[in-house]
Amino acid sequence: MLRAAAIAERAGLPSVSIVTTPFMQQAAVVMKGVGMPGLPIAEYPGVPMTDGSDTVRAKVEALIEPIVAGLARPVATTATASVEPGPRDVVFSGTLDEVQDFFYRNLWTDGLPVIPPTIPRVERFLEFTKRSPGEVIGHLLPENRAATVWSIAVNGVMAGCRPEYMPLLVALVQAIAEPEFRVQDAGSTPGWEPLVIVSGPVVRALDLNHGQGVMRVGRQANTSLGRFLRLYLRNIAGLRIPPGAGDKGSIASTFNVALAEDEAAAAEMGWTTFGQDQGFARDDSVVTVQSVVSASPPIYTAGTRALDHVQVLAEVFGRACAYWSCTGMKYARWQPLLVIGPSIAKVIAADGWSKDDVRKYLHEHVTIPAREAEKYAWHLGSTAFSLRAQVEAGVLPPEYAASGDPDRPVPVFVKPEWIGIVVAGDPGRNQSKGYCNNHIQGGRVSKRVALTL
Amino acid sequence: MTPSSREPVFEVVWPLAPSAAAAQALAARIPDLSGKTVGELWDYLFKGEEIFPLIRRALAWRYPGIRFVEYETLGTIHGRDEAELAATLPDQLRKHGCDAVISAVGA
Repeated sequence: MLRAAAIAERAGLPSVSIVTTPFMQQAAVVMKGVGMPGLPIAEYPGVPMTDGSDTVRAKVEALIEPIVAGLARPVATTATASVEPGPRDVVFSGTLDEVQDFFYRNLWTDGLPVIPPTIPRVERFLEFTKRSPGEVIGHLLPENRAATVWSIAVNGVMAGCRPEYMPLLVALVQAIAEPEFRVQDAGSTPGWEPLVIVSGPVVRALDLNHGQGVMRVGRQANTSLGRFLRLYLRNIAGLRIPPGAGDKGSIASTFNVALAEDEAAAAEMGWTTFGQDQGFARDDSVVTVQSVVSASPPIYTAGTRALDHVQVLAEVFGRACAYWSCTGMKYARWQPLLVIGPSIAKVIAADGWSKDDVRKYLHEHVTIPAREAEKYAWHLGSTAFSLRAQVEAGVLPPEYAASGDPDRPVPVFVKPEWIGIVVAGDPGRNQSKGYCNNHIQGGRVSKRVALTL
Repeated sequence: MTPSSREPVFEVVWPLAPSAAAAQALAARIPDLSGKTVGELWDYLFKGEEIFPLIRRALAWRYPGIRFVEYETLGTIHGRDEAELAATLPDQLRKHGCDAVISAVGA
């Protein structure tokens, strides 16, 4: 919203933006990131979604004066360019405890102790990439800092990564710097968290866990890769919860450990790997990042036929995603992820089902009443949302407005090809788990890892 | 607690990176909105469908001849690709003769 105002200002049109009180701190970060810290704002006090019509009317009346002032009154542009440290500048010297306190006070940590980023440690990471330390991989909004190779190494050190993870860390940052990942929205109120999925030979090379406890902290590579990404979003994209700003996740969640696929199991049953599903060769090392906004309960399924399992997967995963599906219906991109336990995948595959067959089944059999999707979209803040309007705009296929019955069932999974499937978890138990992503925010992006191991 | 003199000392570097946010000037303001055209940019969130009509009425009462390009004409600004928005929005605003914009609602 503020970025649209900045675009108008650059085009020579004065703007004023209506920002609600709870978003004011985040707005300051966004405005600084677009180079216009003085963008005029009319502050709507409070939360419009809990205001009745009379209250909205009264508050808007009070907004008229600041709206007029924002468009009419000249704004003083104060250049406050502060001098920031260079990459090799030592910003602090102290004991381990003193370093922790210094970094914590400056909001440079995630609250856990970090490995002190000394120059020798950073240089050990740089030995594992041919890229120049000053190379800029991209610019990460909202704070709009340069994602340099040096900063990747520094945050990799801090997160507890090993130097040999560096090629994977670079690929990870390449992924989140892509426009379709929309890092600028990583501080939105749903509080989504990136999920890293690692595929190919790098899984074995870096000793990533793909088996029992795959999504639990405990294995260095899985844990530190996930932690690195959260630290990098704080320090380079500027996404910090209070007392910082930029991250408006209302309740949010902690970082995810990196997920790896049990590729041997996938190969044994004749399924493509997740890396192949993203368009790479089976022997390519690939890293994928996508948002995760919530997880299903553990999905236990039993039986000897594919249908025994897929029916229950559809019920439990489908219900876990059902309400959030309205966001996919609104934004026309939504990529839920299903992690299927190896023993379950084996039964499904042995019955002749491919991953695509599973996706097709989920698309065809998981529905939500149209009324519920529209109702939840309204509560979420999409106050003008209607499925019919989405169909008329060409965002959704005609089946979403097939009749005028408000209780007509509409598919939860808008397109089968958007559902990701990874075989992982405990081979000794019949459990799967689903993950719901945050529509276009944190869209699935994959990058090849240039291994120099 | 005083650290032991035998405790190692770490010389640490900055975990951030250079900012790419170059300061940019704002557009010239419009002292009088009478007879001007105001474009409405909406992210289709948080009751904009209630808020914009109230703003229109209040401004029309104050400024004779003020005109609005309503949000339906300009389309949603939320969820659109940043580069695509930057490439198309200025032309859209020019095409509709906008002199100023009101952007809402949120951050």
